[in-house]
Amino acid sequence: MPLKTVSQTLTPQTMTIETSAIPALEEVRVDMAELKAENRPVELVTSVGSCVAICLHDSTKKCGGLAHIMLPDSTISPNESLPAKFADTAVPALVRAINNLGGNPACLSAKVAGGANMFPNFANSLQIGKRNVEAVETALKKNSIKLIAEDVGGSSGRRISYNTATGVGSVRKFNGGVTIL
Amino acid sequence: MKTQIETSPEVTCEISTSDKSTNYFDESIDLGILLELGSIGAGHAATSLSDVIQQQVQIEVPTIHKIPPAALYKRYKDQADLPKTAVYMNLADSECDILLMFDLAESKKIAAMMTMAPSVEELDPAMEESAIQELANIIIGSFLSAISDFTGVLLMPTTPTRVVDTLGAIMDNFIVKEAMLFEEALIFDTHFKRIDEDASLMLMLFPSPKLLEMLIQKSKEQTGL
Repeated sequence: MPLKTVSQTLTPQTMTIETSAIPALEEVRVDMAELKAENRPVELVTSVGSCVAICLHDSTKKCGGLAHIMLPDSTISPNESLPAKFADTAVPALVRAINNLGGNPACLSAKVAGGANMFPNFANSLQIGKRNVEAVETALKKNSIKLIAEDVGGSSGRRISYNTATGVGSVRKFNGGVTIL
Repeated sequence: MKTQIETSPEVTCEISTSDKSTNYFDESIDLGILLELGSIGAGHAATSLSDVIQQQVQIEVPTIHKIPPAALYKRYKDQADLPKTAVYMNLADSECDILLMFDLAESKKIAAMMTMAPSVEELDPAMEESAIQELANIIIGSFLSAISDFTGVLLMPTTPTRVVDTLGAIMDNFIVKEAMLFEEALIFDTHFKRIDEDASLMLMLFPSPKLLEMLIQKSKEQTGL
Protein backbone atom coordinates (compact mmCIF):
# COMPACT_ATOMS: atom_id res chain seq x y z
CA MET A 1 0.00 0.00 0.00
CA PRO A 2 1.48 3.39 -0.90
CA LEU A 3 2.56 5.44 2.08
CA LYS A 4 0.57 8.55 2.86
CA THR A 5 3.10 11.31 3.40
CA VAL A 6 2.75 14.70 4.96
CA SER A 7 5.55 16.17 2.91
CA GLN A 8 5.34 19.55 1.30
CA THR A 9 7.67 20.78 -1.41
CA LEU A 10 8.68 24.42 -1.21
CA THR A 11 10.57 26.50 -3.66
CA PRO A 12 14.05 27.57 -2.50
CA GLN A 13 12.85 31.19 -2.38
CA THR A 14 9.97 30.33 -0.04
CA MET A 15 12.33 28.35 2.15
CA THR A 16 14.70 31.29 2.44
CA ILE A 17 11.93 33.49 3.70
CA GLU A 18 10.77 30.93 6.23
CA THR A 19 14.16 30.03 7.65
CA SER A 20 15.19 33.66 8.02
CA ALA A 21 12.40 34.10 10.54
CA ILE A 22 13.46 31.12 12.67
CA PRO A 23 16.40 31.34 15.09
CA ALA A 24 19.15 29.01 13.90
CA LEU A 25 19.59 25.90 16.00
CA GLU A 26 22.91 24.23 16.61
CA GLU A 27 23.72 21.78 13.81
CA VAL A 28 24.96 18.36 14.85
CA ARG A 29 26.47 16.32 12.03
CA VAL A 30 25.62 12.62 11.78
CA ASP A 31 28.20 10.76 9.72
CA MET A 32 27.78 7.59 7.70
CA ALA A 33 27.04 4.55 9.89
CA GLU A 34 26.44 6.82 12.90
CA LEU A 35 23.37 7.60 14.97
CA LYS A 36 22.71 10.48 17.31
CA ALA A 37 19.83 11.20 19.68
CA GLU A 38 19.12 14.49 21.46
CA ASN A 39 16.65 15.71 24.09
CA ARG A 40 17.54 19.34 23.44
CA PRO A 41 16.49 21.26 20.34
CA VAL A 42 19.16 20.81 17.66
CA GLU A 43 19.26 20.20 13.93
CA LEU A 44 20.66 16.74 13.19
CA VAL A 45 22.24 17.01 9.76
CA THR A 46 23.44 14.40 7.30
CA SER A 47 23.92 13.88 3.55
CA VAL A 48 22.90 10.69 1.76
CA GLY A 49 22.95 9.22 -1.72
CA SER A 50 21.98 5.56 -1.72
CA CYS A 51 22.20 5.51 2.09
CA VAL A 52 19.08 6.27 4.12
CA ALA A 53 18.51 8.70 6.99
CA ILE A 54 16.07 7.38 9.60
CA CYS A 55 14.58 10.10 11.81
CA LEU A 56 12.64 9.12 14.94
CA HIS A 57 10.70 11.56 17.10
CA ASP A 58 8.79 11.44 20.37
CA SER A 59 6.40 14.38 20.19
CA THR A 60 5.38 13.99 23.84
CA LYS A 61 8.93 14.35 25.18
CA LYS A 62 10.21 16.61 22.34
CA CYS A 63 13.22 14.44 21.67
CA GLY A 64 14.45 12.49 18.70
CA GLY A 65 17.33 11.02 16.78
CA LEU A 66 18.75 10.29 13.38
CA ALA A 67 20.58 7.23 12.03
CA HIS A 68 22.53 7.27 8.75
CA ILE A 69 22.42 3.67 7.55
CA MET A 70 24.57 2.25 4.74
CA LEU A 71 23.32 -1.27 4.20
CA PRO A 72 20.09 -3.23 4.58
CA ASP A 73 21.00 -6.29 6.58
CA SER A 74 23.55 -7.00 9.34
CA THR A 75 23.74 -10.71 8.58
CA ILE A 76 26.54 -10.03 6.07
CA SER A 77 28.74 -8.81 8.95
CA PRO A 78 27.56 -10.26 12.28
CA ASN A 79 30.54 -8.91 14.24
CA GLU A 80 30.06 -5.32 13.13
CA SER A 81 30.49 -2.88 16.01
CA LEU A 82 28.51 -0.03 14.45
CA PRO A 83 24.77 -0.76 14.80
CA ALA A 84 23.90 2.29 12.69
CA LYS A 85 25.58 0.74 9.67
CA PHE A 86 22.62 -1.56 8.97
CA ALA A 87 18.89 -0.88 8.79
CA ASP A 88 17.92 -3.87 10.93
CA THR A 89 20.28 -2.98 13.79
CA ALA A 90 20.07 0.82 13.50
CA VAL A 91 16.36 1.08 14.29
CA PRO A 92 16.46 -0.72 17.68
CA ALA A 93 19.73 1.04 18.55
CA LEU A 94 18.20 4.44 17.82
CA VAL A 95 15.11 3.54 19.85
CA ARG A 96 17.37 2.63 22.79
CA ALA A 97 19.33 5.87 22.46
CA ILE A 98 16.13 7.96 22.53
CA ASN A 99 14.76 5.89 25.40
CA ASN A 100 17.95 6.57 27.38
CA LEU A 101 17.25 10.30 27.00
CA GLY A 102 13.74 9.94 28.41
CA GLY A 103 11.85 9.28 25.19
CA ASN A 104 9.05 6.76 25.12
CA PRO A 105 9.52 3.99 22.50
CA ALA A 106 5.73 3.61 22.27
CA CYS A 107 5.36 7.26 21.19
CA LEU A 108 7.91 7.26 18.36
CA SER A 109 7.10 8.10 14.77
CA ALA A 110 9.49 7.89 11.82
CA LYS A 111 10.47 9.93 8.80
CA VAL A 112 12.84 8.55 6.19
CA ALA A 113 14.87 10.04 3.33
CA GLY A 114 17.45 8.73 0.88
CA GLY A 115 17.87 5.57 -1.18
CA ALA A 116 18.74 7.32 -4.44
CA ASN A 117 20.22 5.64 -7.49
CA MET A 118 22.41 8.47 -8.74
CA PHE A 119 24.08 6.77 -11.71
CA PRO A 120 21.65 4.91 -14.00
CA ASN A 121 24.22 2.30 -15.03
CA PHE A 122 25.79 1.85 -11.58
CA ALA A 123 25.43 -1.46 -9.73
CA ASN A 124 21.95 -2.03 -11.11
CA SER A 125 21.89 -5.65 -10.05
CA LEU A 126 22.49 -4.68 -6.43
CA GLN A 127 19.64 -2.09 -6.28
CA ILE A 128 21.35 -0.62 -3.24
CA GLY A 129 19.11 2.38 -2.61
CA LYS A 130 15.87 0.47 -3.11
CA ARG A 131 16.99 -2.36 -0.83
CA ASN A 132 18.04 0.10 1.85
CA VAL A 133 14.63 1.78 1.82
CA GLU A 134 12.77 -1.54 1.93
CA ALA A 135 14.94 -2.75 4.81
CA VAL A 136 14.28 0.43 6.78
CA GLU A 137 10.53 0.10 6.27
CA THR A 138 10.69 -3.53 7.41
CA ALA A 139 12.77 -2.66 10.48
CA LEU A 140 10.36 0.12 11.47
CA LYS A 141 7.41 -2.24 11.14
CA LYS A 142 9.19 -4.88 13.19
CA ASN A 143 9.78 -2.33 15.95
CA SER A 144 6.17 -1.09 15.77
CA ILE A 145 7.14 2.42 14.72
CA LYS A 146 4.78 4.28 12.43
CA LEU A 147 6.35 5.71 9.27
CA ILE A 148 4.59 9.03 8.74
CA ALA A 149 6.59 10.60 5.90
CA GLU A 150 9.30 9.73 3.43
CA ASP A 151 11.26 11.18 0.54
CA VAL A 152 13.06 8.29 -1.12
CA GLY A 153 14.43 7.03 -4.44
CA GLY A 154 15.14 9.20 -7.45
CA SER A 155 18.56 10.13 -8.76
CA SER A 156 19.67 12.99 -6.49
CA GLY A 157 21.58 13.08 -3.26
CA ARG A 158 19.85 14.62 -0.25
CA ARG A 159 20.93 16.83 2.64
CA ILE A 160 18.65 16.17 5.59
CA SER A 161 18.24 18.52 8.51
CA TYR A 162 16.06 17.16 11.32
CA ASN A 163 14.75 19.26 14.20
CA THR A 164 14.75 17.10 17.32
CA ALA A 165 12.25 19.32 19.16
CA THR A 166 9.61 19.60 16.46
CA GLY A 167 10.28 16.44 14.48
CA VAL A 168 10.28 18.47 11.27
CA GLY A 169 12.73 17.31 8.61
CA SER A 170 14.02 19.46 5.77
CA VAL A 171 15.31 17.58 2.73
CA ARG A 172 17.34 19.60 0.25
CA LYS A 173 18.34 18.19 -3.13
CA PHE A 174 21.13 19.59 -5.26
CA ASN A 175 19.64 21.74 -8.04
CA GLY A 176 16.22 21.09 -6.55
CA GLY A 177 13.81 22.51 -4.05
CA VAL A 178 13.36 21.71 -0.41
CA THR A 179 10.92 19.09 0.78
CA ILE A 180 9.56 19.42 4.29
CA LEU A 181 8.78 16.15 6.01
CA MET B 1 51.44 25.01 -26.91
CA LYS B 2 53.97 22.43 -25.87
CA THR B 3 52.64 19.94 -23.42
CA GLN B 4 54.44 19.76 -20.13
CA ILE B 5 53.61 17.23 -17.48
CA GLU B 6 54.87 17.62 -13.96
CA THR B 7 54.87 14.46 -11.94
CA SER B 8 55.63 13.98 -8.32
CA PRO B 9 59.12 12.61 -7.68
CA GLU B 10 57.77 9.97 -5.38
CA VAL B 11 54.79 7.72 -5.24
CA THR B 12 53.33 6.85 -1.89
CA CYS B 13 51.12 4.07 -0.81
CA GLU B 14 48.64 4.69 1.96
CA ILE B 15 47.54 1.58 3.78
CA SER B 16 45.20 1.56 6.70
CA THR B 17 46.08 -0.07 9.99
CA SER B 18 43.14 -2.44 9.76
CA ASP B 19 44.02 -5.95 10.88
CA LYS B 20 41.46 -7.57 8.62
CA SER B 21 43.00 -9.69 5.90
CA THR B 22 41.94 -10.21 2.33
CA ASN B 23 42.55 -13.26 0.25
CA TYR B 24 43.57 -11.37 -2.83
CA PHE B 25 46.12 -8.99 -1.53
CA ASP B 26 48.83 -10.21 0.79
CA GLU B 27 52.18 -8.88 -0.29
CA SER B 28 53.57 -5.37 -0.27
CA ILE B 29 55.14 -6.04 -3.64
CA ASP B 30 51.63 -6.39 -5.07
CA LEU B 31 50.71 -2.95 -3.76
CA GLY B 32 53.83 -1.57 -5.39
CA ILE B 33 52.93 -3.17 -8.70
CA LEU B 34 49.42 -1.77 -8.61
CA LEU B 35 50.64 1.67 -7.68
CA GLU B 36 53.16 1.58 -10.51
CA LEU B 37 50.42 0.54 -12.93
CA GLY B 38 48.24 3.36 -11.67
CA SER B 39 51.06 5.84 -12.07
CA ILE B 40 51.64 4.75 -15.66
CA GLY B 41 47.93 5.18 -16.35
CA ALA B 42 47.83 8.54 -14.59
CA GLY B 43 50.76 9.84 -16.63
CA HIS B 44 49.01 8.99 -19.88
CA ALA B 45 45.73 10.41 -18.63
CA ALA B 46 47.43 13.69 -17.70
CA THR B 47 49.00 13.93 -21.15
CA SER B 48 45.60 13.45 -22.76
CA LEU B 49 44.02 16.06 -20.51
CA SER B 50 46.79 18.48 -21.34
CA ASP B 51 46.34 17.84 -25.07
CA VAL B 52 42.61 18.51 -24.89
CA ILE B 53 42.71 21.70 -22.86
CA GLN B 54 46.06 22.91 -24.29
CA GLN B 55 47.40 23.72 -20.85
CA GLN B 56 50.06 22.32 -18.58
CA VAL B 57 48.79 19.72 -16.16
CA GLN B 58 50.20 18.64 -12.84
CA ILE B 59 49.69 15.20 -11.32
CA GLU B 60 49.53 14.95 -7.57
CA VAL B 61 50.83 11.90 -5.75
CA PRO B 62 48.73 8.85 -6.62
CA THR B 63 47.63 6.77 -3.65
CA ILE B 64 46.21 3.35 -2.99
CA HIS B 65 43.90 2.81 -0.03
CA LYS B 66 43.29 -0.66 1.30
CA ILE B 67 40.67 0.04 3.91
CA PRO B 68 37.21 -0.92 5.13
CA PRO B 69 34.80 0.95 2.85
CA ALA B 70 33.16 2.85 5.72
CA ALA B 71 36.55 4.29 6.67
CA LEU B 72 36.83 5.84 3.21
CA TYR B 73 34.02 8.19 4.16
CA LYS B 74 36.21 9.83 6.81
CA ARG B 75 38.53 11.14 4.08
CA TYR B 76 35.74 13.14 2.48
CA LYS B 77 33.26 13.95 5.22
CA ASP B 78 34.60 17.45 5.81
CA GLN B 79 33.94 18.26 2.15
CA ALA B 80 30.67 16.34 1.95
CA ASP B 81 28.55 19.35 0.98
CA LEU B 82 30.84 20.65 -1.80
CA PRO B 83 29.28 20.61 -5.28
CA LYS B 84 30.99 18.32 -7.76
CA THR B 85 30.62 17.21 -11.34
CA ALA B 86 31.13 13.45 -11.47
CA VAL B 87 31.47 11.15 -14.45
CA TYR B 88 31.01 7.44 -13.87
CA MET B 89 32.20 4.63 -16.11
CA ASN B 90 32.85 0.98 -15.48
CA LEU B 91 34.49 -1.80 -17.37
CA ALA B 92 32.40 -3.78 -19.80
CA ASP B 93 32.69 -6.83 -17.54
CA SER B 94 31.83 -4.73 -14.43
CA GLU B 95 35.16 -5.55 -12.78
CA CYS B 96 36.00 -1.93 -11.96
CA ASP B 97 34.02 1.20 -11.16
CA ILE B 98 35.70 4.39 -12.35
CA LEU B 99 34.83 7.86 -11.13
CA LEU B 100 36.21 11.17 -12.37
CA MET B 101 35.26 14.15 -10.22
CA PHE B 102 35.69 17.86 -10.85
CA ASP B 103 34.93 20.83 -8.67
CA LEU B 104 31.73 22.14 -10.24
CA ALA B 105 33.25 25.51 -11.15
CA GLU B 106 36.32 23.83 -12.65
CA SER B 107 34.23 21.54 -14.86
CA LYS B 108 32.38 24.56 -16.19
CA LYS B 109 35.65 26.38 -16.93
CA ILE B 110 37.06 23.36 -18.76
CA ALA B 111 33.83 22.78 -20.69
CA ALA B 112 33.83 26.44 -21.72
CA MET B 113 37.39 26.08 -22.99
CA MET B 114 36.56 22.90 -24.88
CA THR B 115 33.45 24.31 -26.53
CA MET B 116 35.00 27.74 -27.11
CA ALA B 117 32.14 29.39 -25.24
CA PRO B 118 32.77 33.12 -24.73
CA SER B 119 32.35 32.67 -20.96
CA VAL B 120 31.21 30.16 -18.37
CA GLU B 121 27.93 32.04 -18.06
CA GLU B 122 27.24 31.55 -21.77
CA LEU B 123 27.96 27.83 -21.68
CA ASP B 124 25.14 25.76 -23.16
CA PRO B 125 24.16 23.07 -20.60
CA ALA B 126 23.86 20.31 -23.20
CA MET B 127 27.25 21.23 -24.67
CA GLU B 128 28.72 21.34 -21.17
CA GLU B 129 27.52 17.82 -20.39
CA SER B 130 28.72 16.50 -23.71
CA ALA B 131 32.15 18.13 -23.33
CA ILE B 132 32.70 16.77 -19.82
CA GLN B 133 31.63 13.29 -20.84
CA GLU B 134 33.96 13.46 -23.81
CA LEU B 135 36.82 14.65 -21.63
CA ALA B 136 36.18 11.84 -19.14
CA ASN B 137 36.14 9.38 -22.00
CA ILE B 138 39.54 10.62 -23.14
CA ILE B 139 41.14 10.73 -19.68
CA ILE B 140 39.79 7.38 -18.52
CA GLY B 141 40.40 5.79 -21.92
CA SER B 142 44.04 6.91 -21.83
CA PHE B 143 44.45 5.63 -18.29
CA LEU B 144 43.04 2.22 -19.15
CA SER B 145 44.79 1.81 -22.49
CA ALA B 146 48.17 2.51 -20.87
CA ILE B 147 47.54 -0.26 -18.35
CA SER B 148 46.22 -2.55 -21.08
CA ASP B 149 49.33 -1.96 -23.15
CA PHE B 150 51.57 -2.82 -20.20
CA THR B 151 49.72 -5.87 -18.93
CA GLY B 152 47.99 -7.22 -22.01
CA VAL B 153 44.69 -7.23 -20.09
CA LEU B 154 41.83 -5.80 -22.15
CA LEU B 155 40.15 -2.99 -20.20
CA MET B 156 37.13 -1.76 -22.15
CA PRO B 157 35.14 1.05 -20.54
CA THR B 158 31.40 1.59 -20.88
CA THR B 159 29.84 4.88 -21.95
CA PRO B 160 30.13 7.72 -19.42
CA THR B 161 27.34 9.06 -17.22
CA ARG B 162 27.55 12.56 -15.71
CA VAL B 163 25.87 13.80 -12.57
CA VAL B 164 26.18 17.03 -10.59
CA ASP B 165 25.68 16.69 -6.85
CA THR B 166 27.49 17.00 -3.54
CA LEU B 167 30.69 15.08 -2.89
CA GLY B 168 29.10 13.27 0.04
CA ALA B 169 26.15 12.00 -1.97
CA ILE B 170 28.34 10.90 -4.88
CA MET B 171 30.86 9.04 -2.71
CA ASP B 172 28.06 7.46 -0.71
CA ASN B 173 27.07 5.31 -3.70
CA PHE B 174 30.54 3.86 -4.17
CA ILE B 175 31.27 3.35 -0.49
CA VAL B 176 27.99 1.52 0.00
CA LYS B 177 28.53 -0.73 -3.00
CA GLU B 178 32.03 -1.64 -1.80
CA ALA B 179 30.70 -2.27 1.71
CA MET B 180 27.99 -4.50 0.31
CA LEU B 181 30.51 -6.68 -1.48
CA PHE B 182 33.75 -6.53 0.50
CA GLU B 183 34.99 -6.14 4.06
CA GLU B 184 37.99 -4.32 2.68
CA ALA B 185 38.27 -2.39 -0.53
CA LEU B 186 41.27 -1.39 -2.56
CA ILE B 187 40.87 2.03 -4.07
CA PHE B 188 43.26 3.94 -6.29
CA ASP B 189 43.05 7.69 -6.61
CA THR B 190 45.03 10.44 -8.25
CA HIS B 191 44.56 14.16 -8.75
CA PHE B 192 45.24 16.35 -11.77
CA LYS B 193 45.51 20.10 -11.67
CA ARG B 194 45.89 22.79 -14.24
CA ILE B 195 49.04 24.75 -13.49
CA ASP B 196 48.28 27.80 -11.33
CA GLU B 197 44.77 26.57 -10.55
CA ASP B 198 43.64 25.40 -7.12
CA ALA B 199 40.83 23.17 -8.31
CA SER B 200 41.68 19.59 -9.08
CA LEU B 201 40.21 16.63 -10.91
CA MET B 202 40.13 13.38 -8.98
CA LEU B 203 40.22 10.01 -10.69
CA MET B 204 39.18 7.06 -8.52
CA LEU B 205 39.11 3.39 -9.37
CA PHE B 206 37.37 0.63 -7.42
CA PRO B 207 38.71 -2.60 -8.95
CA SER B 208 37.33 -6.03 -8.10
CA PRO B 209 39.59 -8.65 -6.48
CA LYS B 210 39.39 -10.67 -9.71
CA LEU B 211 40.73 -7.77 -11.78
CA LEU B 212 43.43 -7.02 -9.24
CA GLU B 213 44.64 -10.60 -9.29
CA MET B 214 44.76 -10.55 -13.06
CA LEU B 215 46.64 -7.25 -13.24
CA ILE B 216 49.18 -8.35 -10.63
CA GLN B 217 49.74 -11.70 -12.32
CA LYS B 218 50.15 -10.20 -15.78
CA SER B 219 52.46 -7.48 -14.49
CA LYS B 220 54.66 -10.08 -12.83
CA GLU B 221 54.82 -12.01 -16.07
CA GLN B 222 55.79 -8.87 -17.98
CA THR B 223 58.49 -7.80 -15.55
CA GLY B 224 59.77 -11.23 -14.58
CA LEU B 225 59.06 -10.69 -10.87
